Amino acid sequence: MKKWLLFLGVALVASCSSIECPLKNVVATYYNIYDSDGDLFELEDTLTIYSKTKEGKDTILLNRGIDISNFSLPISKSYPEDELYFHFFSNDYDVRDTVWIQKEDYPHFESVECKAEFFHKLTGVRYTKHGIDSLVIKYSNVDYDDTKIHFYLYPDCDH
Amino acid sequence: MLTAAPASAQMKFFTMKKDSIPVFRGFSVSFDLVGAGMATFGDYGQYEGAFRVNLHDEWFPIVELGYGRADTEDEVTVIHYKTSAPYFKVGIDRNLLKDKHGPNRLYVGLRYAFTSYKVDITRPGLTDPVWHWDANYSILDYPCKMHWAEVNVGLDAKIWGPLHLGWSVRYKIRISHKEGDFGKTWYVPGFGTNDNSNIDGTFNVIIDI
Repeated sequence: MKKWLLFLGVALVASCSSIECPLKNVVATYYNIYDSDGDLFELEDTLTIYSKTKEGKDTILLNRGIDISNFSLPISKSYPEDELYFHFFSNDYDVRDTVWIQKEDYPHFESVECKAEFFHKLTGVRYTKHGIDSLVIKYSNVDYDDTKIHFYLYPDCDH
Repeated sequence: MLTAAPASAQMKFFTMKKDSIPVFRGFSVSFDLVGAGMATFGDYGQYEGAFRVNLHDEWFPIVELGYGRADTEDEVTVIHYKTSAPYFKVGIDRNLLKDKHGPNRLYVGLRYAFTSYKVDITRPGLTDPVWHWDANYSILDYPCKMHWAEVNVGLDAKIWGPLHLGWSVRYKIRISHKEGDFGKTWYVPGFGTNDNSNIDGTFNVIIDI
């Protein structure tokens, strides 16, 4: 009986818990760029995307993207609409668009030991059309999954 | 080819040894000190008592009632988690010792358990790192449920008169749960923490009635 008491005591000590937070823990939106034929399009010259902080200061989200056909952007944690400024710039053009992204925000919880995070559901997008021909939502759930493309961006190739 | 086991073989597990000892041998009540210690001195734990029927010192139908609580804030993530709720378990233990009527018992048992609970999960002062807006991270009074099963191995040793002390180790298997859209709850009353370890244990004070 004493051996069993010892065995169970050791088993209890060995049953210490451990919690693993997800390794993929970045919540972001992913964009693909397409031409009017629906083929993946490489934007040859510079695209810079920025927004304004609560204090009204510019904050760069994508800095001088060159030769890109896809990119990712952060999404605000708990604010109903993100306002983004797209700046297309080269020797031949210099155009700016404003994009407004509407969304619903949900607190996401894994464990008290894992960082507090929000997941989102994209509910709408509107934009000016100087350098952007079209911007559509293809996948509305924004979470830790970095394999889903949320937006298809069709630039106005006349610029 | 599979063949059905004879009915006599299937029933053998549930039979009782025939001797001069009566089938009904009384009741016992018990209280878990491990969970109570965790609930009193730690961030989470449960107060749990049990009522057990002794059938021929071999079979022990059991009902366990408990009250689990968690109230903790992680120093790094600053997430505050709070819940408290009652739970119950019903099941049966079997004494595996050859000397069934001796002072000690070695059990193996099964339990079905259920709890319905609400959680508060908050992270005060969270600010968006890019836009600097205040982020209201708050899940309040969210209703959840869980059904689970347990496989127990335990032993009791007679100390004095009606007093026994005993260890048990439990392997928990989640059957079904409803935890909402926000993810999964961290501590479930009676089940423990929702992590990758499904084993916990008890240290019981048992009194035969």
